[in-house]
Amino acid sequence: MPPRRKDASENGLARGTFLLLLAPALILLFLSLYPFLSGLYTSLTDQKLYAAGGTRFVGFANFVRLAGTPLFWTALGNTLSYTALVVAIQLPLGLAFALLLDVPGRLQSFFRSVLVLPLLIPPVVAGLMWKTMMQPQQGVLNYLLSFLGIDPQPWLANPATAMISVVLIDTWLFTPLAAIILLAGLQSISVELTEAARVDGASPWQIVRRIKLPLLGPYVLLVALFRVSDALKSLEIIYATTRGGPLNATRTLHVMAYEEAYRWSNLGRAMAIVFVLWALCYAISGTLLALWQRQEARRYAR
Amino acid sequence: MQLKAGAPRPNLIAGGLFAAALAASTALAPLPAAAETNWRAAEGSTINLLLISHPFVDSLKPLLPEFTEKTGIKVTFEELAEQPGFEKLLADLSSKTGSYDVFMTSPLNNWQYATGGWLEPLDDYIADPKLTAADYDLADFIPGVLASGRWTLEPLKGVGEGKLWALPINFESYQLAYRPSLMKKLGLEVPKTYAELLAMADKLKTDGPNGPVNGIITRFDHYWDLPYLTFGTMLQSYGVEMLDADGKLQICSPASIQATEDFITLIKKASPPDAGAFTWDQAMQGFASGQYIMSFNEANLFAPVYEDPKQSSISDDVGYAPTPLGPDGKRAAAAWIWSLSMNSAAKNKTAAWLFLEWVTSKDVSVKTALAGNMNPVRKSVWDDPKVTALMESWGETPGQYVAAAKTEAEVAALRFPPHPELTRMLDRWAEAIQQSYFGQGDVKTNLCAAQDDIQAMIAP
Repeated sequence: MPPRRKDASENGLARGTFLLLLAPALILLFLSLYPFLSGLYTSLTDQKLYAAGGTRFVGFANFVRLAGTPLFWTALGNTLSYTALVVAIQLPLGLAFALLLDVPGRLQSFFRSVLVLPLLIPPVVAGLMWKTMMQPQQGVLNYLLSFLGIDPQPWLANPATAMISVVLIDTWLFTPLAAIILLAGLQSISVELTEAARVDGASPWQIVRRIKLPLLGPYVLLVALFRVSDALKSLEIIYATTRGGPLNATRTLHVMAYEEAYRWSNLGRAMAIVFVLWALCYAISGTLLALWQRQEARRYAR
Repeated sequence: MQLKAGAPRPNLIAGGLFAAALAASTALAPLPAAAETNWRAAEGSTINLLLISHPFVDSLKPLLPEFTEKTGIKVTFEELAEQPGFEKLLADLSSKTGSYDVFMTSPLNNWQYATGGWLEPLDDYIADPKLTAADYDLADFIPGVLASGRWTLEPLKGVGEGKLWALPINFESYQLAYRPSLMKKLGLEVPKTYAELLAMADKLKTDGPNGPVNGIITRFDHYWDLPYLTFGTMLQSYGVEMLDADGKLQICSPASIQATEDFITLIKKASPPDAGAFTWDQAMQGFASGQYIMSFNEANLFAPVYEDPKQSSISDDVGYAPTPLGPDGKRAAAAWIWSLSMNSAAKNKTAAWLFLEWVTSKDVSVKTALAGNMNPVRKSVWDDPKVTALMESWGETPGQYVAAAKTEAEVAALRFPPHPELTRMLDRWAEAIQQSYFGQGDVKTNLCAAQDDIQAMIAP
């Protein structure tokens, strides 16, 4: 029989100790809440970096103005399509890698270490590296494609291909993360279950479809959660390669906010964009998190 | 053509904004020094610089120990690329932490920094004989270039008047650079007008030893330098200024539409498909690596890079010509000025001033020019025999670079109105040009939409 759970007083946790432990929690809360609230306040002002002392409270004017700015809607569309593409490509690809790596064999550990290599590279560096490789004239990518008879592509320099090129870089960088999480999920599936299925005559494909994939559900949602919240906020790769261009093909909300703050010194307007991004991030990842928790609950209820 | 001693000095930056400033800046030359200048007034201190990657910085680095030896002031510096450098500088200046005592900047940036109160005015330091040597000679600076550092803080006027916020270190104007061998091979003459250039755009294409050689390269990204500097020079030669004499925007005037259409035709015909994303750095590297027949209206101070066999594969095959003439046979050109300013939150202002004074002095200016920092901002440096000999060697024929630079300097001016939000306005203008290039709407609609937006930025 397991020991009965003790409550705080039985645990000998005196009131003083409790308060002492509460203090760091409050400090942490303050440290995260203060910047948030001060940012929120800034988004309601016309603060400009260079206009010393001249900041006025403008209410929701920055948000109203944003809604009337065509570029904002372009950036919102870009943010959403970037995120959708990233998840739609990286999830199946990560799953495929995970399934391949789950097959026991001598090369398994080698491929596992090769797979994580991109994760060790900072996104800005990866962006610059790919920018060099994607150069239409001297880039190695077009050179390699020329052997397949494919004409040189202006990867990052054409509004039509810029977005997909940036997603490609993101995919190279972050698919390993998806694969690793999914691999952990696959390896948590008990061997008895798959062995029993095999003995019963199930084909490898049936085992994957009927046993592994359904059990992998929570992990798939976890990957989606990570990648969605990261992709919505993605800045480094885009800024290192296209800076939101050409034209506005890759201008996401984060890039727009960055330029507003650091090129044009408009902190108030930049903060308003950041808050729209925050709300978006909160809503989408909140939904995913709820789905994930429901799945987890179902898993343990089983 | 050689700049001979005694010959009339090239009025290197003339034009609207500079003409009026000439008298003012010469009147402000320092009085004869009564006291001895104390170069060791800040001995033992350290100053921190923010430098933007540029040939000037390469020429400065080896000289820094000389400064420390002369003054006992230690110099540390950070060197960043233009974009991240200005972003970091903005963060530091606006927070008034004073991490950087002295930094590289430009009139365009300073219109914002001075408005924020982040710049230390330099007039008092120059007037103080204990801090400024008698032979510093403010009158030796090219008047227009020096005047670009003065501003009264009034939006849209007052450049060349008011306080001195910066000391220039070099200036650039624009020119054509070309490959004489390839032009000969194609049977083409260097174009004298934009009409001639447009007419030959289709023919500007050939094969080189390392694959196809493209026609022209020029920067063409969606940032302010496009309508301000390079394409700006073409716009101005077509008679387009951002604001006319009555203060009305000219962005969608018929001349502006014509110039923009011609520019886009030119790029479409003679540049590779990725031309819509070239920065100045890529334009410089692209031409130096031998992939282009012509560098169109790019900075003339790239010449030391083109001429250096270590950085360029075309060092023995490059010529220079002035920018083409506009439809009315007129030439106008923009100017860009790199300068140094002092942070008003600098921790050691005396040391910072001594550095500024030293680095812009006659001696040091000659040394940096010889190490590739073009174009000099002091008249005496243009006359220095070693500097003259160096520049004389550049081009298809001796003296070609100097002649082209001089022709441009006669018309070059800092043309845009001072305003803390100017870069935002010009970014918007550049966006309209790019929209037209990428086929999103016609030139007139795009330029007029940009003009409306910019009008709203001027008078919100």
